[in-house]
Amino acid sequence: MTTELTALRQDALRELGNIGLGSAVTALSDMTGVLFALEVPEVYELDTTRFSRVCHSPECLVVGTVARVEGDWPGEGAFIFPWESAITLWQVLAGSAPSDLSELNELYESVIREVSNIMLGSFLNGLSQMTGFTLHMEPPAFAADMAAALMSSLMVEALYGQRELLAIQTTFRVPDREFQGFFLYLPEVGSLEKLFQTLGI
Amino acid sequence: MAVAGKTEVLLAGMGEIKIARGAGALGCIGLGSCVGTLLYDPHTGAGALAHVMLPEPHGDDALRMPGKYAVSAVPALLKELGLTPATASRLKAILIGGAEVFQNRESTLRIGERNVETLSRLLKELRVGVAFSDTGGNKGRSFEFDLATAELVIRVVGQPPQVHQLSRVLGRLPIAV
Repeated sequence: MTTELTALRQDALRELGNIGLGSAVTALSDMTGVLFALEVPEVYELDTTRFSRVCHSPECLVVGTVARVEGDWPGEGAFIFPWESAITLWQVLAGSAPSDLSELNELYESVIREVSNIMLGSFLNGLSQMTGFTLHMEPPAFAADMAAALMSSLMVEALYGQRELLAIQTTFRVPDREFQGFFLYLPEVGSLEKLFQTLGI
Repeated sequence: MAVAGKTEVLLAGMGEIKIARGAGALGCIGLGSCVGTLLYDPHTGAGALAHVMLPEPHGDDALRMPGKYAVSAVPALLKELGLTPATASRLKAILIGGAEVFQNRESTLRIGERNVETLSRLLKELRVGVAFSDTGGNKGRSFEFDLATAELVIRVVGQPPQVHQLSRVLGRLPIAV
């Protein structure tokens, strides 16, 4: 299910993505001592071709998390990192990185979950400050798998959980380094109207 | 061997149904909790594949995209193969997918598991034997099934592809290519 949006409302969601992820990326920079560049957020309907934004093939290895958000603007927040980008995170935050999937252990998993936890938490804080909403999140769940399997599982859950297939996606990069991160927010059906009312549009 | 590029592979995207008769290959890419549900008719050599997303409709689009839901996909596959519930028992099923790719969730929806349960029940009711299944676990899967050679290739990230020869379990001899 996807709600049709006017240009103004799309802009508002993009701006929200910008502000929310701005604080999230600042939190990540504080953690890592690395400066991240934010790209202009996109608002689009989630479909299976979207993996192409994340990596070159539907079967390429990515690492991701998803966390349920409760409160005044419920939904799901997900982060996706191509494997090479996850390696950058592991090297900066854990001092080492798995050389392949078989070396991925709990420590490496918890690094990614913690990054997502802090970033999604900051995103929600940014959102709260803008809207006055009360928001809280569950701990993120972790996956390392082919991009299409992760994206399709997110889509199926959105469909099942009556969430909009509408994604607010932001990409953040490290200039001159092999790093890209993707953030998606999948709001619950009906919750968009509430958001727009709060914002007065 | 069913190598991509040699035989044309008809890929069923999420909620889609694809049919091939006698030749060609059917497949799905990146199955997470979704289940690739392939019904094969040994009498005609035809196969029909649905990329099933959920057990039951959550929304009103089961009519538009019957392949999305187990309960609408199975009857739609029969129809595509020109069979009825009374004649369905000659079919053989292949089920692949139904994984739970996100680990350590606070509240798991078990969608993959429930997809497989529902499909198995529906097939059992129609007396359709499941000739091959690779379901559950926590790894996403891609697969290709070549109708001419009855060879099934399953790909999982970080592992070499697994090749299965299904001529015998599907109850037919492979046609020479």
